[in-house]
Amino acid sequence: MTRSNATRTAVATLVAGTFLSVSACGLGGSGAADVREGRKTGEVLGEITFRTLQLKPKFTAYVQGVIDAFEKKYPGAKVRWEDVPGDGYNEKLVADAQAGALPDVVNLSTDSFQLLGDRGLLADVAGLDPEVAKEYVPGAWEQFKLPGKGQGVYAYPWYVTPEILTYNRELFEKSGLDPAQPPTTVEQFFDYADKIAAASGGRYSAFMADPKGRLPGDWQKMGVPILNGTQDRFVFDTPKAVEWVERMKDLYAKGAMPKESLLKSDDINQLYGGGKLVFGPGSPGFVKDIKQNAPQIYAGTRVAGAVTGKLGHIGIYAQSLGIKKDTKHLDAATEFAKWVTNGPNQVEFSKNATIYPSNAQGLADPRFADRGDGTDAETVARAVGAQQLATAALDANTPVQWTNQVGDAVVREMQKAIQGEQDPKTAVHKAQEAANQLLAKSART
Amino acid sequence: MTPGPARSARARRKALAAMEAETGLVHRKWWIPYLFLAPGLLMVALFSLWPFVNTVVLSLTDAQILRGGTFVGFDNYTRAFADPDFWTAAGNSVLYLVVVVPCLVLLPLALAVLVRAKVPGIGFFRSAFYTPVIASAVVVGLIWQWVLRSDGLVNTVFLRLSIVSEPIPFLTDSAMLLVSAMIVTVWKGLGYYMVFYLAALGNVSPSLHEAAALDGAGPVRRFFSITVPQVKPMMLLVGTLSAISALRVFTEIYILGGESGGPGGGARTLPFLIRQVGLGFSGETGYASALSILLFLLTLVFSLLGRRLSKGDER
Repeated sequence: MTRSNATRTAVATLVAGTFLSVSACGLGGSGAADVREGRKTGEVLGEITFRTLQLKPKFTAYVQGVIDAFEKKYPGAKVRWEDVPGDGYNEKLVADAQAGALPDVVNLSTDSFQLLGDRGLLADVAGLDPEVAKEYVPGAWEQFKLPGKGQGVYAYPWYVTPEILTYNRELFEKSGLDPAQPPTTVEQFFDYADKIAAASGGRYSAFMADPKGRLPGDWQKMGVPILNGTQDRFVFDTPKAVEWVERMKDLYAKGAMPKESLLKSDDINQLYGGGKLVFGPGSPGFVKDIKQNAPQIYAGTRVAGAVTGKLGHIGIYAQSLGIKKDTKHLDAATEFAKWVTNGPNQVEFSKNATIYPSNAQGLADPRFADRGDGTDAETVARAVGAQQLATAALDANTPVQWTNQVGDAVVREMQKAIQGEQDPKTAVHKAQEAANQLLAKSART
Repeated sequence: MTPGPARSARARRKALAAMEAETGLVHRKWWIPYLFLAPGLLMVALFSLWPFVNTVVLSLTDAQILRGGTFVGFDNYTRAFADPDFWTAAGNSVLYLVVVVPCLVLLPLALAVLVRAKVPGIGFFRSAFYTPVIASAVVVGLIWQWVLRSDGLVNTVFLRLSIVSEPIPFLTDSAMLLVSAMIVTVWKGLGYYMVFYLAALGNVSPSLHEAAALDGAGPVRRFFSITVPQVKPMMLLVGTLSAISALRVFTEIYILGGESGGPGGGARTLPFLIRQVGLGFSGETGYASALSILLFLLTLVFSLLGRRLSKGDER
């Protein structure tokens, strides 16, 4: 071999070697390996980063005000605020977690909290300050415990949006239903939908068919167990779950739901706002949207407590503030998170947005008990939502094991059954099998 | 002449010096050209080659989004071949290609021939045919959703004219959804490939058409005997490009059929399945990578097929 050939071979080998070794990095990025816990010093000092989810520009003034007040109270602390749009928020969190570059205080949704907490990337805030628990609504505080991790709480609860029931009074009456008697169980909800389908003549529908938005909530409300006692197997293959599919299939065939809503390609706000849907979305924020975009429909919108069925209470879905486990400024980070989530700051936030405080003191504010004269949907929604939150409990939550993949697998079988491509019994059975396979796979890894 | 291994370095240097004196060109080291290529190569290596190699490596592991994996050999590939979802998605991707590619090779050619005509206002039609290309995929999807939904334009017209008694489930039946997405892809691609053909048609000598016309050939005969053979290389290029984009189709199905990919996921294509498997906090990066490699191989097969056809044509 000549020298130049040898050099070329060496260069090629070096390049290939570099590629392979760098590629192999893809295997090593656990993101959570040996994260050392930050230590408290008793002094609120240092610069911390604070990441929020899509709050700019609408809430810039509010958030900046909270930050300024904190920095005024603790002159040694500095907060660097970064706001990230909703699209790609979780992807960015994943990338930052892999790179060990999570912010000191980070806004987390339920799923991102579970994932980061499970991998040991978040500080146990209950362990750092046991007294802080009583500041928050119990249902919200409990939400941030993790299965198998004892009494640890891995994020401060922030704002909450409870589930409520919204419906079009006029269409309710046209369908022969009493607007003063909204449904309280899933079975009753389906009975109402049946009457609506019979009366509508195809001009309007009762509710959206998309199973992803209804499961596992509907099953829980019907008393269907989702997991076994040890939480390591799905056990929802029950006659009650089959009954749910049978009712959905029957109602879909009768036109109680818009055909395309089975695939979630329909916009519920548009349909409800256009007077083509009797039951609107179950979120107080939606009521505000309707007020702005469809004032006529808003005037006839009624609000009631969410359908809770056998559970008797709603689940709680809070945004939270997690503390990076290995933050260099643990005192500043925890004090800041407590500051943002305290009663007065959360009540102030709720005046700017349709959210509810997870803070007990905040939720006790008279603003959340005021129903006005009982005719304004937005005011009633605020009171109903707050009332539901007081008794909200964790068991009505989507379990951690019900991952996106599990949800998708179940939804696919349900869609086939609702369309009549397979019988309901087979659908539930196959859905449970697929869900358990995915669960076993994630348990192995 | 290539220096032989037996030739000494000294003799080689001497020969080079003589060559430099003779030609006036200065001989440089062999790696000099590579130095100039380095910035471009580095970008390709960083943003194309490395991700590709990384995907190959990941496809041999059980990696998840937030957890590095362990080596599992070809388990992910074995799993894919036993996974009915994979076969459905691969079948849909190939079906998409088989239907869409001929449409995108032939229809834009016909369109290009039509808009080449020198008639007043033809510029408007050229622009109009090109508009779908610059429209965002989401806007296109929404327009077609309004057209195709059960209470949409097409169904309303058909029902009013009593052509059908029930709305056609364009968006709620897996097979119909796939057909609807194909229609959107073809509609969106027409203008794009029409521009390719317009360029190719510009190179067809008018004298050929004139001579054929003198010989009594009509427009149809001239199209098949002159236009088509002259633009054949472009047809092959369009075929290859549209085949690659057909195998990568995702947006049309996502917008028309929702995030589940049609009822029961029956209209999912391979990119759709890859996204579903790999996305989210419980995303299986290893398996999604294996599916990506399989999609790459499928694309490679069709690209090579296109290349082979084009070589056959050259011969």
